[in-house]
Amino acid sequence: MIIHPAVIALIAGSLMVSVMLLLSAFFGVSIFRSWDIRSGSELQLNLERKTYLISTLMMYVLWFQLASFFLFIFTADRLHELFVGAMCAAGTLNVNEYGYPALILKMVNFILAGLWLIVNYVDNRAYDYPLIKKKYALLLVITPFVFLEAAIQGLYFAGMKADLITSCCGSQFSSGEGTVASELASLPVIPLKIAFYSSIACTFMSGFIFLWKENSKGVLFSLASGITFLISIAAVISFFSLYLYELPTHHCPFCMLQREYRYLGYVFYLPLLCAAVTGSGVGVLASFRTIESLNDAVPVTQRKLIAVTLISYFLFSAVATYAMISSPLMLKGY
Amino acid sequence: MIQLSAVTKVYNAGKQNEFTALRNISMSIDPGRVTVLKGPSGSGKTTLLSIIGCMIRPTAGRVLVNGKEITSLPERFLTGTRRMTFGFVFQQFNLIKGLSVIENVMLPAFPCGDPYGTMKKRTLQILDILKIEDKAKSKIEWLSGGEAQRVSIARALMNDPEVIIADEPTAHLDTKLSEEFMDILGEMKSRGKTVLIASHDPIVYDCKIIDRVVEMRDGTITGSENRA
Amino acid sequence: MGWINKQRNILDFALNSLLRRKGKNSALFVVYTGIIFLVSSIIFSSESIKRESQILLENSPEVVVQRTIAGRHDLIPEQYIGQLKSIRGVQEVKGRLWGYYFEPGVQANYTFVVPDEFLYGPGYIVIGNGVSKTFLAGKGDILPFKTLDGSYTSLEVADILSPDSEIVSSDLILLSEYDFRKVTGMQKGFYTDMILKVRNTRELQAITDKIRRILPDTRPITRNEIMRTYEAIFDWRSGILLAVISGAAFAFIIFAWDKATGLSSEEKKEIGILKGIGWETSDVLFMKTWEGLIISLSAFFLGVFFAYIHIYFASAFLFMPVLKGWSVLYPEFRLVPFLDMFQITTIFFLTVAPYTVATIIPSWRAATIDPDSVMRL
Ligand SMILES: Nc1ncnc2c1ncn2[C@@H]1O[C@H](COP(=O)(O)OP(=O)(O)OP(=O)(O)O)[C@@H](O)[C@H]1O
Ligand SMILES: [Mg+2]
Repeated sequence: MIIHPAVIALIAGSLMVSVMLLLSAFFGVSIFRSWDIRSGSELQLNLERKTYLISTLMMYVLWFQLASFFLFIFTADRLHELFVGAMCAAGTLNVNEYGYPALILKMVNFILAGLWLIVNYVDNRAYDYPLIKKKYALLLVITPFVFLEAAIQGLYFAGMKADLITSCCGSQFSSGEGTVASELASLPVIPLKIAFYSSIACTFMSGFIFLWKENSKGVLFSLASGITFLISIAAVISFFSLYLYELPTHHCPFCMLQREYRYLGYVFYLPLLCAAVTGSGVGVLASFRTIESLNDAVPVTQRKLIAVTLISYFLFSAVATYAMISSPLMLKGY
Repeated sequence: MIQLSAVTKVYNAGKQNEFTALRNISMSIDPGRVTVLKGPSGSGKTTLLSIIGCMIRPTAGRVLVNGKEITSLPERFLTGTRRMTFGFVFQQFNLIKGLSVIENVMLPAFPCGDPYGTMKKRTLQILDILKIEDKAKSKIEWLSGGEAQRVSIARALMNDPEVIIADEPTAHLDTKLSEEFMDILGEMKSRGKTVLIASHDPIVYDCKIIDRVVEMRDGTITGSENRA
Repeated sequence: MGWINKQRNILDFALNSLLRRKGKNSALFVVYTGIIFLVSSIIFSSESIKRESQILLENSPEVVVQRTIAGRHDLIPEQYIGQLKSIRGVQEVKGRLWGYYFEPGVQANYTFVVPDEFLYGPGYIVIGNGVSKTFLAGKGDILPFKTLDGSYTSLEVADILSPDSEIVSSDLILLSEYDFRKVTGMQKGFYTDMILKVRNTRELQAITDKIRRILPDTRPITRNEIMRTYEAIFDWRSGILLAVISGAAFAFIIFAWDKATGLSSEEKKEIGILKGIGWETSDVLFMKTWEGLIISLSAFFLGVFFAYIHIYFASAFLFMPVLKGWSVLYPEFRLVPFLDMFQITTIFFLTVAPYTVATIIPSWRAATIDPDSVMRL
């Protein structure tokens, strides 16, 4: 265990999020059980009030997740000096088997919290709370994930000891290591570039089709957006990073969050995370279009979400492309 | 414009102190008229006003406002309906201390999301109608009883509601101010507002602007008298 | 657009409402700012001490060779120099003389160091700022040192290290080899440890392996290892301090909870009125959120600002003793100002986040006051 202020902060943050979700889930269950919108009873009134509390709690959970995602990377980056062989966050995350799972869970939980808030937002626009049960069922799905995240993060920090030997981005993200990271790094650049730009194009096209045409459902867009998200991450690791670092072999996804690289990582990851939430939100909402009281609210909300998704992807691909074009590095032989 | 059918309100249902404040009330309120609810203390006037004004939901029965059923609306929509349809004048003027007159009057419009300038213009217009525009900047604490009452009417008018609901509005006013208050309501009536008052003050229910008096006792309607 | 206007209006009201209740809120604000000040002071100081020692270590030798006997650090004989020099890739080997000196008069530990080239020769010393303070000694003063055989030897202060030099130099006493051996009784032909310069840092691993092999009673320590240990120690220290502070923070959270739950009847009435005249529960929740945000952000900026002043311009006078450790000297020193997003986020998580969480439920309680309560005031 390494006692660093940021480690304490992260653990405290996870505990707070867990407590908030436990509370929400607890009230959620009582809503799930006794909800009856037609009743004017005091119990029903109380439950309706609880929905406000849960929305507020989840709102904070979303922000906490986002902040702790980046603080986690920050911390990993800062602690790298304690480990032999670590040069940045990648090395620190690799000191034991819990580092990367914790990071990925943080991201997943951020997306889940975002989705919940989207569902909640739409539900609040209907006169009869049509999604109330689904909403709280989803909450019960999120809760164990958050607990898992807290536990894995705890194990990760508990298993840290100074002087551990680890391997850093240089080897994790280099070709031929047989790991997921190295697979990503060694993806062939030209096909991946084509895949990236065509998936971006698909997303924009399906988005515009939705915005123009009245009766499309949004599933297609959501799919395209999800695939674009994954390809984008692969593209960052595989080749955007190279242009950014101006080194033909440095694939690290974390170094770019540092001052030396003008914090460009944030311009990459924030829009990507945002697009992941809003893009998948469009798909989740698509399944609620048939509900009568949501006839108006769903398409309107989907429009907004699509707009946000497209803006996010535009921002990401514009910055990434600019970084690629303006880089003195030429990738020959690909 | 407002219809109640078989409305019942039970407080603390299922508990030992269960109390039925309203029993099986059916009535309708026509637009543009002044109605008074009259009855002894505890007869359920305030409760009925709260139900009509979308503040609480009845335990049973249905309430229709402008043909729309509001009984089973969730709170957030109930509030929206209340904000746009009803203006309230309370027994204790219930103005917020420490704020100026203009700020108090503006409050009901805050959640509507109008720009500040628009809100301010409308507020000044209303204060002008009620002839207290010279007090706009004063703090609430400095106002006389009559002025405070006008400010509370101004606040009720802020969102240009169709219905003005007043619960015992003259309880804290002397005879002269009470009459003045009824004159203002008369003017509101002439501007097409529907007015609903709960009161056991003769100055109110004997006033010439009243169109209808509904008598209540023990949570039921015992009589209704149409004037004019 | 409507949404933004609405939030502006609500924010406006929240600000106003805070100002109207200055008395009630100021106590909370002061305590809140205090906690943030403490937490940020700890984080700032430990981060910059770490930085300074890192900079310091960067100029230190790449490899230090110590001799150990029974696991304890022991003096290293002069002959080893030759053997170390014979290792391929080693450019230079030097024996170092240093140690600690306990001064019973002031109950302090000083660090004796014999520099490579001591300009003043035997009979003179150069002292650090802290030493000069505790002895009230200036240039030209003569200080007595107790030698190993119990007699005293007097050394004249030739110079004082510049006051703005790093923390570590504050308890330093520089002296000649002759005086060092006389005071400490260390025999000729022995050194405290040895330092190596290597031609190529990539060969470090190979060189240290070789040293372990040909001189099995020694322990080579590389600069990186020292850095790591330093880091761990400082992190640990600030962790302990934080744990103490979090006790205080916990008390504060309870205090905040209490403040937020114990709505005054005046405030309850106000919220009742707002709800009566058409504010929705979520509008009141927004108002409460804005209130919390205003309090948190202003306390945060103020607390961080004061901590910044405290650490970088007021020499961290409040708790340097705990953070710095070994010596009882409290040197006056200036840390190099250093602030980044990492520290800010950490501070935020340790202070604002718990406060916010503690106020969610009370705010919600306030926001769900019955709208018809206003009819029965
Ligand atoms: N929240 C509540 N819980 C329990 N009983 C209540 C509640 N609110 C009102 N009551 C009861 O309901 C009855 C009707 O109250 P209401 O205020 O409607 O009467 P009212 O006609 O307005 O009386 P008044 O003329 O004194 O204002 C009263 O007996 C009151 O005690
Ligand atoms: Mg009453």
